[in-house]
Amino acid sequence: MSTPSRPGRLGGGRWPLVAVGAVLATAGAGVLGASLSGAAPSAPPRTSVATSAEPQPGAAGEAALPSAVPSSDASALPADGPAAVPVPAAPAVDLGPVLPAAAPVALRIPSIGVDAGELVPLALDAQGVLPAPERYDLPGWYTGGPHPGGLGPSVIAGHVDGPDGPAVFYRLGELEPGAVVEVPRDDGTVATFVVDAVERYAKADFPTSRVYGNTTDRAELRLITCGGAFDRTTGHYVDNIVVFAHLV
Amino acid sequence: MRTTARRIALAGCAAGLLLPIGAAGASAADGDTNANLRPVVLNGVEASGTAMASVRGTTLTVTMAADGLLADVPHAAHIHFGAEARNECPAASDDTDGNGTLITSEGVPAYGGIVVSLTKTGDTSPASGLAVDRFDTAPGGKIAYQRGSIEIAPEVADAIVAGKSVVVIHGVDHDGDGTYGGEAKSDLDPSLPAEATDPALCGVLASAPSGSVAAGAGGTATTQAQPGLVALGTGLLAAGVGAVALTARRARARA
Repeated sequence: MSTPSRPGRLGGGRWPLVAVGAVLATAGAGVLGASLSGAAPSAPPRTSVATSAEPQPGAAGEAALPSAVPSSDASALPADGPAAVPVPAAPAVDLGPVLPAAAPVALRIPSIGVDAGELVPLALDAQGVLPAPERYDLPGWYTGGPHPGGLGPSVIAGHVDGPDGPAVFYRLGELEPGAVVEVPRDDGTVATFVVDAVERYAKADFPTSRVYGNTTDRAELRLITCGGAFDRTTGHYVDNIVVFAHLV
Repeated sequence: MRTTARRIALAGCAAGLLLPIGAAGASAADGDTNANLRPVVLNGVEASGTAMASVRGTTLTVTMAADGLLADVPHAAHIHFGAEARNECPAASDDTDGNGTLITSEGVPAYGGIVVSLTKTGDTSPASGLAVDRFDTAPGGKIAYQRGSIEIAPEVADAIVAGKSVVVIHGVDHDGDGTYGGEAKSDLDPSLPAEATDPALCGVLASAPSGSVAAGAGGTATTQAQPGLVALGTGLLAAGVGAVALTARRARARA
C-alpha cells in the first residue's frame, strides 16, 4: 500500500486529496481483509501493532470460533417448558471484563496531563464520518459506538490544537504502552484502560476497520486526534494519531 | 492574512471530512456494525449490552455481551430485518393489544422477522428461532457470545451492512419470580410461557464510522501559510474533481 507524498507544497498537496477516494478504494479491501484474518494492516503505523505483538489478557481473539455446521437438532424445538430443557455445555467465550452501559462524564490521562471534566457527544455526519468536537478544550464521545467499558471499540476524539494553541489532545502522541486512561461514568463507576499502542496513519490510509471495526473481542478504547504535518493548503493535518487501549 | 488562514483552516476540516466517501463505497458487501442493546420498552428489563456484527461477503461474525438478564434460563437471540419494517426497536405504541407488555410479534413492524438465529451451536437459520436448547442461558445474568462462519443470504448481508438490521435478545421476567412462567402463553409457541419469548433487549446494528477524523486547526503548527497558494488551494478543493485536471495540467506545465 503506497503512501501519498506529504503535502509540503501546493503542487504535492492536492494529489493526496483528490486521490484519496481511489487510494482508499483499493486499500480498503486489503485493510479489511487483513483485519479479518488477524494480521496487521499494511498501513504505516508509527509503532508496532500491539494486537499482534503483545499478549491480550482477557481477549478471545485467538480462540477458534464455533463453526456454523448444521447439526441434526437444527430444527429441534423444546418438548417441555424451557426450564425443563437441559442445556448442553458449550465452549465458554471469554470476552474479558465488560461494564454495563453508562455514559462517560470525564476523561483523565495522568501521564500527559489530560483532565477533562466533560465529554461532548459525537454523532456521525451524513457521510458516515466521525466529526471532531466543536470545542477544542473538550474531548468527544462517539455515542453510536460502545460506551466506554462496553464490548468493542469505544471512541473518544479530541483536537490536537485550535487556531491559537494546544487543545485537549495536544500531547496524545506522547502516550506510551502501559499508560493508564480513566473514564468516570454516570453510574459512578470508573472505566480504567491501559494503553496497548499508539499509532499514526496518513488520513489517506486511515485503517477504518482496525480503528472502528469489530476487530476486538473485549472492551477497548480508541483515542483519536490529528498529527503529522499541518497542510495549510487544506487546513488540516495529514495524519491521525490513534491510541489503542483495553479495559482492565 | 492570519485571519484568512484561520478561516481556511477551519473550512479545511470540513473538506477533509468528505474524503472517505470513496472508502465506504469500495466494499459494499463488507461492513462492520455495532448495536447498543437497550431494554425493550414496557417489558421491565434492567439490562444492557453491546453486539457487533461483521459482514465479509455473505459470511457473518457476531460478538455480543449483555448483563442484567434473567439468569440461568435460555435467551433466544436473533438478528431481525424486514424490508417493510421500520428497522428500529419497538416503541410503546407498538403494544397493539394494549396489555402493557410488548410481545415478539408486536415488535415485527419495528424490527421485522428473524433473519439469523444467534444459536451457540448448530443451525443459525430462522428455523432455529425458538430452539431454546441452543441459545445462551445467561449464567449470572450475563451473556458472552461469539460465533463466526455464519452464512447469510446476500440480501441479509446488504441489510446488515446498510444499518437496517436489529439485534433482539428475548426472555423477560414480568412477574419477577426468577424464572419463566406465568399464565400468558407465547405468541410464537403456545407451549412456552410468554416470558420466554418476549423481547428483552434491542439495538439497531449501525455502521461504524468510516475514515479519518479532522481534529486540529493548526494553531500549534510551525509551517507558514502562503496566502496566494492558500487561496488557490481552497478554490481547487471546492472544485472537487476538477482539481485532478488542474493538478495534471500544472504537472505537465512544470515538466
